[in-house]
Amino acid sequence: MLLQVKNIESFYGLSKALSDVSLSIEEGEIVCVLGANGAGKSTLLKTIAGQVKPRNGQVVFRGKRIDQIEPHRIVREGVTLCPEDKKIFPQMSVFKNLYLGAWIYGKDKVRIEANIVDVYNLFPVLKERKNQDAGTLSGGEQQMLVIGRSLMSNPWLLMLDEPSLGLAPLMVERIFEVIRQINARRTTILLVEQNASIALNVANRGYIMEAGRITMEGASYELLNNEKVKKAYLGF
Amino acid sequence: MIALGLTLIYGVLQIPNFSHGALYMIGAYVAYFSIVSFGFPYWVGLITSVITLFCVGMFVERVAFRPLYDKPLINAFIVAVGLILIFENGALAIWGPEFRRLPAPSSAVIELSGAIITMQRIIVIAAALLLIAAVHFFVKKTRLGAAIEATAQNREGAQLMGINVYLMGGITFGIGTSLAAVAGVLIAPIFLIYPSMGVPVIGMAFVIMIVGGMGSFLGAVAGGYLIGLLETLVSSYITTYFTEVILFGLLVVVLAIKPTGLFGKGH
Ligand SMILES: Nc1ncnc2c1ncn2[C@@H]1O[C@H](COP(=O)(O)OP(=O)(O)OP(=O)(O)O)[C@@H](O)[C@H]1O
Ligand SMILES: [Mg+2]
Repeated sequence: MLLQVKNIESFYGLSKALSDVSLSIEEGEIVCVLGANGAGKSTLLKTIAGQVKPRNGQVVFRGKRIDQIEPHRIVREGVTLCPEDKKIFPQMSVFKNLYLGAWIYGKDKVRIEANIVDVYNLFPVLKERKNQDAGTLSGGEQQMLVIGRSLMSNPWLLMLDEPSLGLAPLMVERIFEVIRQINARRTTILLVEQNASIALNVANRGYIMEAGRITMEGASYELLNNEKVKKAYLGF
Repeated sequence: MIALGLTLIYGVLQIPNFSHGALYMIGAYVAYFSIVSFGFPYWVGLITSVITLFCVGMFVERVAFRPLYDKPLINAFIVAVGLILIFENGALAIWGPEFRRLPAPSSAVIELSGAIITMQRIIVIAAALLLIAAVHFFVKKTRLGAAIEATAQNREGAQLMGINVYLMGGITFGIGTSLAAVAGVLIAPIFLIYPSMGVPVIGMAFVIMIVGGMGSFLGAVAGGYLIGLLETLVSSYITTYFTEVILFGLLVVVLAIKPTGLFGKGH
């Protein structure tokens, strides 16, 4: 088991955002989490990434508890998060954004160069724009940059928070194609999406969240054929 | 130079560090004692002061400001004012109220088309230019500098890259206070050293920072020169009494026209 989330409860001040959430991911899987606005999907990813500390429960990654350590150290354990609101460095070049993604490699120039070449192969447009300020990229290009930057540290687990948000359908397809490619190279993926049909299409398994709880889980084809899921998330 | 340190700290940590002037004063005293009491040469005193103040800066950030990151800004204000009181009264208690003069490393005088300039003033100007270039190089061309800039541009984003943003804050604070120390040591032979020497300077530094644009590196440099020039022009051609009034007038005018400052990026 690569990641095990066991009965976590997370709070913002006094209000509870996650109650008794458990999930697990095997190495090599693509797992998606679906749910309406405010269900707690982002909070779940933030809790795994260490940005929100759970009050109860455990997060175990590759056999080690990571729920009480600082976010910057969790990156070193091999977990990266592409947040909903991207959090790029807007007044820095695309190249420098990618370069900083490999921060954990210190001065290992060979490794960093090789990873940058990899990312450029995955997203040729980033190579074309490598000297441009990241803030001037289009929404789709910024999403590519965020994913590329997260790959610079060769994570075991890549977490994506709504990568399709605000993108045109063609761009969404491109992004999901790349997600498949990344997974084919043995990176495990935890995906949060509003766009249920495309997410279940690419994922092996899925979880449904409602009001801070996981209410359903199953293989993608099971969820795609489930009447409740069809009504609530697939719109037919 | 002082404005540059303030700007760095504000840019990365979003703290308006009012205690910066007091740290500038401490820097001058450290150099004074290592030069006058221990007999070190001027340059050794300067370096001692820079290293000491780097450590003091990191310590102050760690102990006084870091616990306040998630709290409303007013807390940082209060802490900064508290630090001024601690440092100034501490200096008063330990070193007394008397004015001290640091001997200049060179007493040479240069005549430049009729105007007489002391060597020390030239050193101050040269050092300021050199330091600005050095800080610029550090931020733009080194790995650590890139991480600090990333922390300033998007703190959470930097953290998600595995950057220890707390350490970056500490280092930035240290660099900022050592810049204040350099300023204090270089200015000391021209003006005098006394416990409240930071007070007139800090107001000016804030005006420079705000006019230039909060947290903007280029703004701090340009603001510094603009205000230095204006101050000289006003005091030599108009009057020495109203320079402060005119400076704050400039502040009001700039903020009225461009609320984010000349080089500010807005939100
Ligand atoms: N920083 C915060 N402070 C206080 N409450 C928050 C904060 N972030 C989220 N919440 C609350 O926690 C709950 C879960 O939010 P979360 O962002 O995890 O939902 P989500 O499923 O990601 O929604 P969306 O699909 O809109 O992104 C919501 O009720 C939200 O209002
Ligand atoms: Mg969300």
